[in-house]
Amino acid sequence: MSRVEARAVRKAYGAVKALDGVSLTFEDGSFSALLGPSGSGKTTLLRAFAGFVTLDSGTIAIDGKLVNDVPPHRRDLGMVFQNYALFPHMTVAENIAFGLSVRGAARAAIAERVEAMLRLVRLEGFGARKPRQLSGGQQQRVALARALVTRPRVLLLDEPLGALDRRLRQEMQIELKQIQREVGITAIFVTHDQEEALTLADRVAVINEGRLVQVGMPGEVYERPATRFVAGFLGDANLFEGRVAGGRVAVGGGAIATEDALPTEGAPAILAVRPEKVVLAADAAGLDADLVNRLEGRIVQAVYAGSAITYIVEAGDRRLIVFEQNRAAAPLGPDTAVIAAFAPRHAVLVQP
Amino acid sequence: MSRLSQALLGAVLVFLYMPIVVMVVMAFNRSALYELPIEWDTVWFQALAGNERLLTASMNSILIALANTVIATVLGTMAALAFARFRFRGRNLMRLLLLPTITIPWLIIGTAMLVLFFWIGIGRGLHAILLGHVALSIPYVVIVVGARLAGFGPALEEAAASLGASPWQTFVRVSFPVIAPGVVAAALFAFAVSFDQFVISYFLSPPGVSTLPVEIYAAIRKGFTPEVNAISAIIILVSMGLMLAFARLYRFGGERGS
Amino acid sequence: MSETARRRRAIVGLTAPAYLWLLLTIFLPLAAMLCFSVLTVAPIGGREPALTLKHYAAFLEKDFYRDLTWRSVRLGLDVTFWCVVVGYPAAFALARHVRGCWREALFLLIVLPFWSNGLVRVFSWTIVLRDGGLLDRAVHWVVPGAGALDIIYSYPATVIGLVHSFVPYMILTCYLSLQAIDDSLIEAARSLGASAARTFLRVVLPLSLPGLVAGAVLIFVPVVGSFMEPRILGGTQGIMLGTVIEDQFTTVFNWPLGAALSFILLAIVLAVMLAALPVLRGRLAGAEGASS
Repeated sequence: MSRVEARAVRKAYGAVKALDGVSLTFEDGSFSALLGPSGSGKTTLLRAFAGFVTLDSGTIAIDGKLVNDVPPHRRDLGMVFQNYALFPHMTVAENIAFGLSVRGAARAAIAERVEAMLRLVRLEGFGARKPRQLSGGQQQRVALARALVTRPRVLLLDEPLGALDRRLRQEMQIELKQIQREVGITAIFVTHDQEEALTLADRVAVINEGRLVQVGMPGEVYERPATRFVAGFLGDANLFEGRVAGGRVAVGGGAIATEDALPTEGAPAILAVRPEKVVLAADAAGLDADLVNRLEGRIVQAVYAGSAITYIVEAGDRRLIVFEQNRAAAPLGPDTAVIAAFAPRHAVLVQP
Repeated sequence: MSRLSQALLGAVLVFLYMPIVVMVVMAFNRSALYELPIEWDTVWFQALAGNERLLTASMNSILIALANTVIATVLGTMAALAFARFRFRGRNLMRLLLLPTITIPWLIIGTAMLVLFFWIGIGRGLHAILLGHVALSIPYVVIVVGARLAGFGPALEEAAASLGASPWQTFVRVSFPVIAPGVVAAALFAFAVSFDQFVISYFLSPPGVSTLPVEIYAAIRKGFTPEVNAISAIIILVSMGLMLAFARLYRFGGERGS
Repeated sequence: MSETARRRRAIVGLTAPAYLWLLLTIFLPLAAMLCFSVLTVAPIGGREPALTLKHYAAFLEKDFYRDLTWRSVRLGLDVTFWCVVVGYPAAFALARHVRGCWREALFLLIVLPFWSNGLVRVFSWTIVLRDGGLLDRAVHWVVPGAGALDIIYSYPATVIGLVHSFVPYMILTCYLSLQAIDDSLIEAARSLGASAARTFLRVVLPLSLPGLVAGAVLIFVPVVGSFMEPRILGGTQGIMLGTVIEDQFTTVFNWPLGAALSFILLAIVLAVMLAALPVLRGRLAGAEGASS
């Protein structure tokens, strides 16, 4: 269990700045996600923690000790690789034992510990198999056991569930979180899947173009995105761009009220509204009083997705995206006139 | 498979194997003038056993091939590791520099070696032949081992490092076992390249010292005897055997399945 | 030691032995030969050489060397042509009409002789082609009273021997590019109304062209420089640039002339490779991408 700190780390590949001054702390026992699109630098940051990337500048410290010049094999970290990187010429048990055996542990101690790890990841009896005889989910669990067997200070996971299909991924998410809690290890994982980040992590760090954009608890980051990028990357968002006028943000066709502190009068401002916060109604009579932001429009398209329906609403010259639970007897058809309404507290001021 | 394809492939195989089969069969014919019908006999193989020149040349060929295999496999594997695991300036140029050995006619390379070796005092002889064979073998080793290395990427080595293995432990316990089939295939290939090599050996062998192919060339130019057939039959079986083993290991660019 | 220094030491340590070896055995020799080719006599045994371009001039002035070069180039073209004629259809049949383990076995059978001793295979043709040899007997058995075949020690014999030596190359490279063509491309062409012949000309042939060109280069280059095959199978018709170079080094001992002729040969080889480079570059890049 350990604390990991990155201070102003920079790394460039030619003209491309993979990391452009990132500072970030991961607390003891936390489970954190590095979330960003591909090429954002999140994987570079993870690999810098592991020691596979030499930084141009900045420092990385584990438990307050600088590790910049410590080679990977002396950092005492566990890592789960994107395609697991299980040694194909070793059995499952040999794979798991590897970290102990290169440290010169006693044979009996190794065997005992490997058994314990197989139990932890629910793979008792699979020790003698070769990795290629296992399913993707099983390989995933072997990789996890192999990384945890040496009781590392920190567990790093590079897109740990990326190679699994959707159903298995959901199962493994729960299992992974359970194991992390059980072992109590500080864990950091990289993902481009926002849903995975929100489900698994207790802290999410959003990275874009080599910079840390926002860090916080999943609910925080989702409900209160700091920038336009975060609003769009984590889920969907309706963006209202305009200027501050009389305590509201004036946009084409009206003014949007918000509870956020706005910049000075006349300054540009962007408000983001999550699609599920928007309510559709046939007329104003049925709407709650607190939904003071109201736009008249008509439905352009309704996309049926089982439990939910996505509406595209045209209001003036803007298009809104609205999610609704599939509760109504029949979905609203195209061309239906509607009022789209949302509360001021759901209109979040975001940076450009 | 259509009839036409069958016939075509059959004809090509006949064209490729007919002369080889005829040569091998004639090695077992008692007649020194290749007369038919064949009287089966191993007299030419027996004659071979008493031919000091050919036996010495065979010994030379085998010794050079073995030494070549060890040196070329070690040097080539090292270079392949560097190319596969590091990105550095000049990497592409260095890989390009392997090509001349494969693409320039051996005649040019052989005569060029002769010129330089004479000039700087290395001279001709088995040592010079070995120098040349290793040069011809290194690019093939780099390519064969490189293909194997490319097949598994650096992730396994990083995994080993993240688990606490030192670079040496990583090589011994992970990298080498994984590329071992490629290294063995490359070694077989290097052996075959050397054992079959004629042109370089021909220019670099002084009078009185020779390898098997050089000796065969001399014998052919003097006039054929079934003795040459006999030794040729042995050579062709050895090199085809080596290549079959190579093909099993290498599978022309990767393992099946996995 | 810093990470970069460690890296550099590893790279140099791993590559230096192989490249020093290649320097001594490939690159320095080529440089030495370039020096020799502009000297009057070989600077060996205390003789005093002077700089001269007369060996290159001889090539330009004497018809003999020009004819010789043309003979070698023509041999290269003929052998390449016949390798295409035999090899491409075989590769096509193998790639598109043979399936499963048969395909693998046949492929192996075809390339296997290629990796066996070339000298011995050329020698085997002398047994087949000689007067009273297998071919002679076969012809006389079919056509009694036919005249002597007289094929050994001739240009055709040389071509046959070389095609035999190099056709597996053509089959190999064509096969690799033909089998990489997705069946659905051919089906798409057919579904768009193209006849089988048109599909071949417009889809299959262009896509397999890199393999064809690679094979042609890999055959043409060594054949232009061949000397052992013409020597054994060609008889008096077997005088080629390669055999004359061989003579300069082994019997005539005019090394500077041999060096100059070698460089002319090398120039031809490089010209051919440069000409094929645009097609081959894409192929090499593709192979790189596929393997990494």
